[in-house]
Amino acid sequence: MGLDSAVIQDFAVALIVLAALGFSVWKLMPARRRLRLLLALDGWSARHPALARWRERSLKPRIARAAGVGCGGCAANDVRTSHRPR
Amino acid sequence: MDATVTPLRIALVGVPNCGKTALFNRLTGSRQKVANYPGVTVERREGERITPDGRGMRVLDLPGTYSLNPTTLDEAITRDVLLGRLADTPAPELVVCVVDAVHLPIGMRLALEVKRLGLPMVLALNRMDVARRRSVHIDAAKLSAGLGVPVVATIAVKRGGADALVEAIEAGRWITPRAFTPAPQEHGAEDAEQMQRDLRGLLAAAGYSPPRENPWSGRIDALLLHPVAGLAVLLAVLFVMFQAVFSWAVAPMDWIKGAMSALGEFTAAHLPAGPLASLLVNGVIGGAGSVLVFLPQIVILFFFILALEDSGYLPRAAYLLDRLMGSVGLSGRAFIPLLSSHACAIPGIMATRTIPNWRDRLTTIMIAPLMTCSARLPVYGLLIAALIPARPVGPFNLQGLVLFILYAAGIVSGLLVAWVMKQFVRGGQYSPLMLELPDFQWPNAGNLVLGLWERVKIFMSRVGGIILALMIVLWFLSSYPEPPPGATGPAIQYSLAGRIGALLEYVFAPIGFNWQIAIALVPGLAAREVAVAALGTVYAMSAAGDDLSAALEPVISSTWSLATGVSLLAWYVFAPQCLSTLAVVKRETNSWRYPLIMAGYLFALAYLASFITFRVVRAWA
Repeated sequence: MGLDSAVIQDFAVALIVLAALGFSVWKLMPARRRLRLLLALDGWSARHPALARWRERSLKPRIARAAGVGCGGCAANDVRTSHRPR
Repeated sequence: MDATVTPLRIALVGVPNCGKTALFNRLTGSRQKVANYPGVTVERREGERITPDGRGMRVLDLPGTYSLNPTTLDEAITRDVLLGRLADTPAPELVVCVVDAVHLPIGMRLALEVKRLGLPMVLALNRMDVARRRSVHIDAAKLSAGLGVPVVATIAVKRGGADALVEAIEAGRWITPRAFTPAPQEHGAEDAEQMQRDLRGLLAAAGYSPPRENPWSGRIDALLLHPVAGLAVLLAVLFVMFQAVFSWAVAPMDWIKGAMSALGEFTAAHLPAGPLASLLVNGVIGGAGSVLVFLPQIVILFFFILALEDSGYLPRAAYLLDRLMGSVGLSGRAFIPLLSSHACAIPGIMATRTIPNWRDRLTTIMIAPLMTCSARLPVYGLLIAALIPARPVGPFNLQGLVLFILYAAGIVSGLLVAWVMKQFVRGGQYSPLMLELPDFQWPNAGNLVLGLWERVKIFMSRVGGIILALMIVLWFLSSYPEPPPGATGPAIQYSLAGRIGALLEYVFAPIGFNWQIAIALVPGLAAREVAVAALGTVYAMSAAGDDLSAALEPVISSTWSLATGVSLLAWYVFAPQCLSTLAVVKRETNSWRYPLIMAGYLFALAYLASFITFRVVRAWA
């Protein structure tokens, strides 16, 4: 059963669409909520020693980036916020 | 000391445009934006360096300031970091005070102030190559003895130009205990006079001789800063830039179009008919691929912007336009933020921190999205290429001329909105532009290539990231539910997206938008150029048969009226279709009120401008 099968095609399309939907929601989510989710994930992974390497190499840098704001379309997106104007 | 666990905290401070960020990039291997004008850095930036013996260093790049008595938000960050007032940032253990060796007295005043804080310090004499060429004499040993801190020469823009500084830092002779607390600042006229006397004494002891004047620089400035000739030069530069965006990009755009078309045909030929082939051909190639075509235009636009930034011309343009900006109630300091907004409104809005007066800052924030950001270029490029003939108008190309008019429309409408805000918002005062004009220099080829590469990466990551993802979702919404048995129209009309488009058409029909445009505007809220990809997907899904990866341009030119196309151009001059911009306005103003006002007034303006444009062009055509 290859790509000629309608079932396989439907399954592949469903997977791609779900992944795209998840990615879009993640990218368009407010920065604060994304940071909160990453921190929650960090707290959960801290309790699992097997995930320590992934946590250090992948999750921590993401948290550092998410601590800033901006969009992928500007050079300011890796700037870390230091204060909030009153 | 085990610095691999607790890295040494180093702060780079200095007056604006002395080369701190270039030095930061050299020390940390970062690629933060550098430019030949003041005010590029408005936030602290952090990077790390590991020495060959495994010691860690955390380097902070701070906004430029002339004094530790701040008048603006960005200057306050520098003071607060040095004094350890920020909760999440302890005071640095070592300050690298960067001074421009060509204009030593300007930077040394701040160096004296920082020295008086009592923090361990190294003085970096930057741009020493230029200083030597211009016969500046500085006896670094005597300066070091007089100031009581190590002094090293650096050339931040050259490879190896910071080696002496790195060696000095790594030697670590001046590291003090971590519990160090900087001494508080003292202010007062007497204090300032004493500092001025100290500065003169120090410069005399170091045998400082000022730079030899460059006669060409004076002559060029006489032309560029002339109220009439200078404006003519500015207009000519902008004209050439927009002409080049269209005329130089033709061949590479054709190559990309050809490659996309071939890829679509190859995919359709080698995949069995079904939803997967439709997704890849119509959603991925027809959608995201239609935005990729505009990469050459973006590269050409940024080539000019980066070259102008590096040459030192932009602050001259700011000086020229200062009077005009003052007449509509904008601060002279608004120029750099508004200029930055032409790349993206987000760094532009952040750069308004250099404006001390809140009303002036708010006005600049509110008009920043009216400046034409690079995300609009694919929309403009598509519509102009599809609807405006490429015929000459005098020495110019009509398409380039229309692009120039669209950019000018953004600037003029921004000035008009600022003038209207001036009538309603009280509390503003005109603060004159105090800008240090940087030396002219040939744009650095390395900086240009690096800057362009960064823009290409950003564009490609957007096309391959959020744009691609949204197009896949849009393809799904345009494909399901499937048409009922016996349906005769295109499948998209029966889909969820088709039904949403039909509803939105009631709202947008008065301004000439069809249901395909109405659908494209919705995912276009994520970012403006997404609308182009969405049009690509929607039109591909509307086509009959398998010929779905055809270029968008001929479809638009054959199915849209001129009035509809021009109306959509007018819409994009004003439409606030960028959620990230609204989020940053919320953060910078610390309130939802201003982003809501911004979205409201921009939508109203966009609708009104499109309505008038559509009616006028339709009546005229």
